[in-house]
Amino acid sequence: MGGVSDVLGANFMTAQLDKLVNWARKSSLWPATFGLACCAIEMMATTMPRHDIARFGMEAFRASPRQADLMIVAGRVSQKMAPVLRQIYDQMTEPKWVISMGACASTGGVFNNYALVQGVDQIVPVDIYVPGCPPRPEMLIDGIMLLHEKIRRGEYTAGRIAG
Amino acid sequence: MVTTISAGDWSERAQALAADGWWLADLCGVDHLRIGPRDERFGVVVQLLHHERKERQMIHVTAVGDPPTVPSIAAVWPTADFMEREAFDMFGIVFEGHPNLTRILMPDEWEGYPLRKDYGVGKVAVEFVEQPLLQISTPGQGPDQAESKVRVDRLGQVIEEGDAP
Amino acid sequence: MSTAEKIVTEIETRGQGAFVESYDPSDERMVINMGPVHPSTHGVLRLLLELDGETVTKCLPIIGYLHTGMEKECEDQNWRGAVTIVTRMDYLAPLSNEQVYSMAVEELLGIEVPPRGKYIRTMLAELNRLSSHLVWFGTQGLDMGAMSAMFYGFREREVILDFYEMVTGLRMNHGYIIPGGVWEDLPPGWERVLRNILDTFPKRIDEYESLLSANPIFVERTKGVGVMSRKDVLTLGASGPIARASGFDWDLRRDMPYEAYGDVSFGVPVEKNGDVYARYRVRVAEMRESLKIIQQLVDKMPGGDFKNMDPKLTPPPRDEMNRSMEAVIHHFKLVTQGYTVPAGEAYVAVESPRGELGVYVVSDGGTSPYRCHVRDPSFVNLQVLGPMVIGSLVADLIACIASVDPIMGGVDR
Repeated sequence: MGGVSDVLGANFMTAQLDKLVNWARKSSLWPATFGLACCAIEMMATTMPRHDIARFGMEAFRASPRQADLMIVAGRVSQKMAPVLRQIYDQMTEPKWVISMGACASTGGVFNNYALVQGVDQIVPVDIYVPGCPPRPEMLIDGIMLLHEKIRRGEYTAGRIAG
Repeated sequence: MVTTISAGDWSERAQALAADGWWLADLCGVDHLRIGPRDERFGVVVQLLHHERKERQMIHVTAVGDPPTVPSIAAVWPTADFMEREAFDMFGIVFEGHPNLTRILMPDEWEGYPLRKDYGVGKVAVEFVEQPLLQISTPGQGPDQAESKVRVDRLGQVIEEGDAP
Repeated sequence: MSTAEKIVTEIETRGQGAFVESYDPSDERMVINMGPVHPSTHGVLRLLLELDGETVTKCLPIIGYLHTGMEKECEDQNWRGAVTIVTRMDYLAPLSNEQVYSMAVEELLGIEVPPRGKYIRTMLAELNRLSSHLVWFGTQGLDMGAMSAMFYGFREREVILDFYEMVTGLRMNHGYIIPGGVWEDLPPGWERVLRNILDTFPKRIDEYESLLSANPIFVERTKGVGVMSRKDVLTLGASGPIARASGFDWDLRRDMPYEAYGDVSFGVPVEKNGDVYARYRVRVAEMRESLKIIQQLVDKMPGGDFKNMDPKLTPPPRDEMNRSMEAVIHHFKLVTQGYTVPAGEAYVAVESPRGELGVYVVSDGGTSPYRCHVRDPSFVNLQVLGPMVIGSLVADLIACIASVDPIMGGVDR
């Protein structure tokens, strides 16, 4: 799955089209609601007037994964929740990205025990990890802007080796 | 005030206490494996609160048998419904007479009772590996940023001369 | 007539549906699964609903999707480190969790917290109540379609979180209230920030009340919805605003005072109807009472120690470590191993924003808790949801969930 260049052949026009498509994709990423625990409160605070992600076009949190491009896994993923997480990820349509927000989603966090999946990248491929417990809204916005940069460069297949 | 009673007397005592006006605050299981000599390994600890007298009471109910069994008081205090299911899920204490004694916090097909003292915490060893996604695309670029002559940005891509840092 | 001919005549006389042999037009129940991922922002709660059209006939909450094994994890940490685990249970009122755990450990240790420490803890707990009710206000409005309530609630909350960051260093999940007192003293300039909050908030709460309380749509959607009688609420064990909205006048802060609540005077709002609107009014009134309590505490804040400076419990100040070998040894032992707590057990409860939050802690004389069980109010209050929504519409179900205000971190631990 590549950009327009892969489909129509690589020349000047398709490179410009690629840039346009990537710009469009990054400018209105719609997150899927996947707030689990404390990080969800900070994710909600990111949509609120003080740290506004509506300026990125992302305030529309879609309830249906079919309409979302980005899954921000905010919070700790327990053993019971892991299959649900994978199901939601599979239901999202391409192109899709995953931000793992918080220490619990990235590596298991403070809790290294039987009940939590130690890092959500054991279940879904992750594009950006945002550490913190919970990360400040500014940290999440920094992660989102890094993801925008990644999309702008057209690298949405990075890290997705397992498919 | 702390009292200890055995499982056999628990149902009647619970009904007497409820009739007296005591309210169930909490019910949880305890595993006495490492805390010193006790008759039975498992017990249920019940916290009661009397609103009018403004008093609290703690009752230890020893669970007898194998699997450890305690009569259920969900009929006396419906609050105990979820609490007894949690004690069953975490310790394996069976509550006789409970309307729906199934696992509540762990997945249904989980084996083992996590809060028992012979069940490990389940720590996963943490390994620190080299940053896997760092792209090495020019000769002379070391894996450690401090040593290499090539600068790499946060996304792992090489910063060309003339680009913004 | 053969069966086929019988069926054909049935269809011709009664219509298409008649050929389904087990079709019983009076039994149209659907079993629908709601959650654990659904747009209402209450976390990972799964409800198994049996619907007859739009009416709910049975509702079974299924929990466990956020189970973190915190009680087991506490047994693996030392007494001071378990604060960082306990604080992440009810993540909208983390200081209440820390406060009740610290009180339980202090009862086992048999130590006293100095007055300044008590006042600081009470003040932070009341600020917690305020910020938690602001989130409830936001989610209650959001679930009913009044999105502005969410923005207003969170905007006020940011001001309180700024204060928390100034005092504890973090916006959420602070590890600030420890057995013995609080970790660090209040920084200079705290009073100005807090008085600013106290001056601006009452008018803001008036403004938000004027948006929702007399709003005909809000009133229509909440009055008479999810009614629980006083007897039902007591048998099911609910506490906190849910019980007080059904006419049960019980508040641990007033009836069994702890910490500094004995030194302040405040009212406890009680409503009689027991519907969603009554719970709304109780929580908004509680916000105002919290402001009154904080005002009194700020005015009366004593000086002195903010934590119990027993050297076996608290690391000594750093300049003393330059002078005394004993101080170094104490510091080393406290940081590596932690202090030991005499064997025993204790149950202490406080009034968190959601109800009675209790901690039952058992010690075997070692450096880590033997058993630390947290009686979380949301876990018990969730049992109220099943009977509450029977007979109501699906839209009312959403309003009821918002009014019960469950926090899944506390429910699943």
